[in-house]
Amino acid sequence: MPYNGKITPVQMAFLLHPTIVATALLLVPAMTERHAGRDMWLSPLWALMAGFATLLTAWALHKRFPDDTPIEYSERLVGKTAGKIIGVLFIFFYWHGSGSLLREYGEFVSGTFLMETPTEVIMGGMLIIAAYAVRGGIEVLGRCAQIMVPVVVVLFMTLILLVSRNLDPYKLLPMLEFGILPSLKGSIVPQSWFSEIIAAAFLLPSLTDRSKGLRWGVITLLFVAVILSLTNLTVLMLFGELAGRLVYPVMSAARYIEIADFLEHLEAIVMAIWVFGTFIKIVVFYFLLVQCTARVIGLSDWRPIVLPVGLLILISGIWTAPNLQQLVHALGTSIVFELLLIQLGIPLLLLAVALIRGKKGAPATAK
Amino acid sequence: MRTPLSAALSENENILRSVYADCSDAVFRRFAVGGQTSALLLYIEGLTNVEEIDRCVLAPLMLQTDQPPSGPPDQLANRQIPVSGTKPVADIAGVVEEVSIGNPVLLIDGQTGGMAFSLPKWEKRNLEEPKAEPTIRGSREGFLETLGDNMALIRRRIRSPRLKMRSMEIGRYSMTRVAVAYIDGLADPKLVDEVMRRLQKIDIDGILESGYVEELIEDHPWSPFPQVMSTERPDTAAAGLLEGRVAMLVDGTPFALVVPASLFTVLQSAEDYYQRFWISTAIRWLRYFFFVISLLLPSAYVAILTYHQEMLPTTLLLSVAISREEVPFPALVEALLMEITFEALREAGVRLPKQVGTAVSIVGALVIGEAAVSAGLVSAPMVMVVSLTGIASFTIPRYHAGFAFRLLRFPIILLAGTLGLLGIMLGIIAIVVHMCTIRSFGVPYLTPLSPARGSMLKDVLVRAPWWMLNTRPQPVGQLNPHRQSDNQRPGPDTGGEQR
Amino acid sequence: MNSLISRYRAWLLVPCLALTSLSLAGCWDRTEVNDLALVTAAGIDRAGENAVELTVQVFVPRAGGGSQLGQPGSAAGDERSVVRSAKGKTIAEAMAKLQERFPRRIFWGHAEVFIIGEKVARTGIREYVDFFLRFSQPREHADIFVCKGEAKKVLELIPPLERHQAEVLRELSESKVSLHVTLKDLAEMLVGDAGDAALPYLTTLPPPVGKGQQHTIAYIAGTAVFRDDRMIGTLNQQKTRGLMWLRDEIKFSVVTLSPEEADGFISFYLLRSRTKWLPRIEGDRWSMTVEITTEDDVVENTTSLDLLDPEVTRALEAELEREIVRRIELTLKQVQQEMKVDIVGFAEIFHRRYPREWRKVQDRWDEKFPEVEVRVEVDAKIFPHAPGSERAARLLPVALSAHARPDRSRRGDVPLDGRRSRPLSHLV
Repeated sequence: MPYNGKITPVQMAFLLHPTIVATALLLVPAMTERHAGRDMWLSPLWALMAGFATLLTAWALHKRFPDDTPIEYSERLVGKTAGKIIGVLFIFFYWHGSGSLLREYGEFVSGTFLMETPTEVIMGGMLIIAAYAVRGGIEVLGRCAQIMVPVVVVLFMTLILLVSRNLDPYKLLPMLEFGILPSLKGSIVPQSWFSEIIAAAFLLPSLTDRSKGLRWGVITLLFVAVILSLTNLTVLMLFGELAGRLVYPVMSAARYIEIADFLEHLEAIVMAIWVFGTFIKIVVFYFLLVQCTARVIGLSDWRPIVLPVGLLILISGIWTAPNLQQLVHALGTSIVFELLLIQLGIPLLLLAVALIRGKKGAPATAK
Repeated sequence: MRTPLSAALSENENILRSVYADCSDAVFRRFAVGGQTSALLLYIEGLTNVEEIDRCVLAPLMLQTDQPPSGPPDQLANRQIPVSGTKPVADIAGVVEEVSIGNPVLLIDGQTGGMAFSLPKWEKRNLEEPKAEPTIRGSREGFLETLGDNMALIRRRIRSPRLKMRSMEIGRYSMTRVAVAYIDGLADPKLVDEVMRRLQKIDIDGILESGYVEELIEDHPWSPFPQVMSTERPDTAAAGLLEGRVAMLVDGTPFALVVPASLFTVLQSAEDYYQRFWISTAIRWLRYFFFVISLLLPSAYVAILTYHQEMLPTTLLLSVAISREEVPFPALVEALLMEITFEALREAGVRLPKQVGTAVSIVGALVIGEAAVSAGLVSAPMVMVVSLTGIASFTIPRYHAGFAFRLLRFPIILLAGTLGLLGIMLGIIAIVVHMCTIRSFGVPYLTPLSPARGSMLKDVLVRAPWWMLNTRPQPVGQLNPHRQSDNQRPGPDTGGEQR
Repeated sequence: MNSLISRYRAWLLVPCLALTSLSLAGCWDRTEVNDLALVTAAGIDRAGENAVELTVQVFVPRAGGGSQLGQPGSAAGDERSVVRSAKGKTIAEAMAKLQERFPRRIFWGHAEVFIIGEKVARTGIREYVDFFLRFSQPREHADIFVCKGEAKKVLELIPPLERHQAEVLRELSESKVSLHVTLKDLAEMLVGDAGDAALPYLTTLPPPVGKGQQHTIAYIAGTAVFRDDRMIGTLNQQKTRGLMWLRDEIKFSVVTLSPEEADGFISFYLLRSRTKWLPRIEGDRWSMTVEITTEDDVVENTTSLDLLDPEVTRALEAELEREIVRRIELTLKQVQQEMKVDIVGFAEIFHRRYPREWRKVQDRWDEKFPEVEVRVEVDAKIFPHAPGSERAARLLPVALSAHARPDRSRRGDVPLDGRRSRPLSHLV
């Protein structure tokens, strides 16, 4: 039992869902539209490929080492030094990841709502609360997710419902005008997002009911694909080809709602969805970063490093890009490779080693 | 105090007199049993039923001069003293304890050991409707201040002998009697043990109210949320016991404690289960909705008005702009001012004697609200918001649960004033995270939302009809999950009409 | 004690820092409502060679503590809005200069109406559309108009009924008597396959006798037609109606005709209409069939025809269909042949059905478009009602067509008060 706590498989699903979706909802539709045009709603479905690949790899490794996180079993599989190197890679990866995630959140809030407030304050505020949650341990994270994610999903559906009367299905035509290539091209960025499900590899050892882990992981992936596809459909049916020019299409969609002269300007709903979802994702990344660091360094108790790591995440967030445009550009290009390499590449490597070595890995002793 | 009683009455009397020195309410009644043996009856005036003492203890012992009774006190009690409750005492501490709860103690010269008779009587309230938790439908009995009466009120509702009540004393000087009640077979023995353990750990001068106990046994003393449910109603306590919870009755207060408590237990009212499920569900939803309003409405108002003006429909914004034209304060300050004034009004209303109370509410509502608006100190929408918030907070059935949210309103208003809607959301997240961290006697505070237990959800989100509530709420009731047989749904006999 | 402090030091330090920073710097984005100038409408005009003039209409909250009905609006005191303008080389510069003239911060969140002056429209509006899309405050839902003359003059008008001009225009737009185009719609049109756009065209209603020049409203008099992003002409009300038929946007239409069989007029009121487009490409021949299905009510019948007779109804339906086709073809002629501007969305329709063929011509659509053969087919159904029914009375908010008053001396005529000599009340 790695983290002194257990979560139910459902809670794991609730933790993993925003880990993939929260940021994907905001920036990815525009990126997808630029590549895929009117077929952008297919892209999330293609992106499932990477998701499944990652999930199955994580699951296979988990079955061999049921009580270990990837940090531990990488040491077992490739030896102490190489394992530590992999561990350090994970640390840097999650450090960079949580930093840019925090930055995305900060830029969004700063750019659309609180324009004068310094981004550092916005990011710092979120980080303080995240630190509080992370200190509570995995159980607290699971419970928070279980409460917040259904709210997010309901709000999201409400949004779609409210905008539905402005949607024009004809904008979807002609479908597959240029074959499936555009939607495949558009799915590259979402693929990297889907590979974030590697977080499951860290969560599987703490499940109360391990047999259900795979099932709920698959359910999460499918649900995420549905939500992303639905988002893309809605954006497409509302804005047509305009979608690629908007920075945050979902936000613009929410602003477009006007019902009975009364329900207007509901961008606050989008903000709620975004803030709650991002909170869970930040907290997951933060937690994983703390865990990786503690394990690689060899600490016995991870609690004391929560706050310092938080500060480091803040710094990373400030460092990561000079402005939003560069961040978005990076997300569409180099970060894709980074995500796929580390989240899919390393686990595949480990799995290959495990297969080569045969059934290595007796039931492990928990740390 | 642990000195055993000696056979010499004068020794005992001296010790006791020194223990009760300067206690003018302690009565030392010397008399002769059957005219011959010296005896002493010690009691505290005002706590004891003196007529019964005279009639049942003194009379038979003193007046029977032909066959003078003799022997140890228990024999005497057996034969001569027609009092139903007796208890032998062996040492000074025992004497003091019995006397202090109103039981006179009989000591006889030449006998070691004394006898205490259960004859307490003191002035107490009549059974009344609980003031803090009235209901429209349901019993109108509330707990009283006497432990024995309270135990009886519960026992009347759960007559099975499986209802156990374990007594203990807490408090160096107050020596308050506390009874721990639970149903054997329903309550987890580990829970009972934990409760007893925490109670026994208490080392304090005096327990005057169950609130002291509450603060001394809760899991998270720094949290604003109550982790122990306190109730004035015997039926609520009994319901809790039937779910497998443990109740603590504290002498001297009508408020009993029930643990473990979750957020939803403190948000419920007893009446939820007495009315039919449609109305109960509707009222439950109303309550949840208004509970959110009581927390968030003033902050939402401040946030939208100050940071997100585009969210208001144009006509509304224009009206609000007009009404705020003359107000000198920014929205944040105005909100805080009004909220604090409202809280002050509420507190004043509680403390005031009844006659003045109505005047104050009229003053508060009309004068302050109306005058402040016309004077241009606050804007009319603000008054609306504050009153609505106030009304919303009244829908929370348990007063002490409402406190947490009344308090938390203020930090959220501050957050809203600095960061707008983002501030509100961060505040909500912080509260949710906090609630996810706390437990009450091992049960996570937000059960059954998380960890989610499907079967319980039908009693929290809605109120399923009684014939659907087949299992006890978990994890408290895990020991014995089935509380009624399935298939209880009533319906007309399918026999049909006579053809 | 020392260990206690040092143990909690980390906990104490961070919140302290955070709190102090908050109190030192203050709340950055806080704006009181009364520090905002709420823009309800904006206008763009040409000002010289390369300059724009931006005019805004700003709402003025008249304080009164709640008793707004206190004084009846006098001529000067009823000005609920303030109109100011500023010039600049670009819109952004004009905006900046405009802010200089306001003591309060200009707030665009409720700007619901944008008017583009005709001169500007003729030189190109793309940059303005782009600017407003990017600028986060205005809503994509705002309505856009083109006006005759200067937008500034329109905004300075004082409407008798509504609070300000912006509201007048918005209501007019929403009632769908004419085109209703939002910023998003305009952007889509410009970005779309055809690249041409159409916007409602405003003219000022002549003021009533006795009142000043300004006490009137602007109303939608037609449509401004754009090739690419430049305005090239207008369509009058009738042709606009035809355009709306073609775009499937018609919601409100009254057709009056004089039937062949009898003297008098019959007015039909539109209940429902659906337009379907059927494109077809045969070799090099591109054709489009526009199928319109419509249901109409008979609102006024000054003839002696019996509307319950199915023969009569069929004949009338045929005549109605012919009339509608005539109107649409008038519009089509001007739009397709004279102006050669695809504002009916044919480009998109062909693109959807025939993507490959479309790609071949997409760069020369303005040449191909006039060559498309268009056939209009109308299928109309008429629901006659007994006059005097509640429904008939409710259906006619605005009397649009003029007709002669009937001569009561004719037998079987329908008197204007609606009572009939024939027993038909059971049909209501």
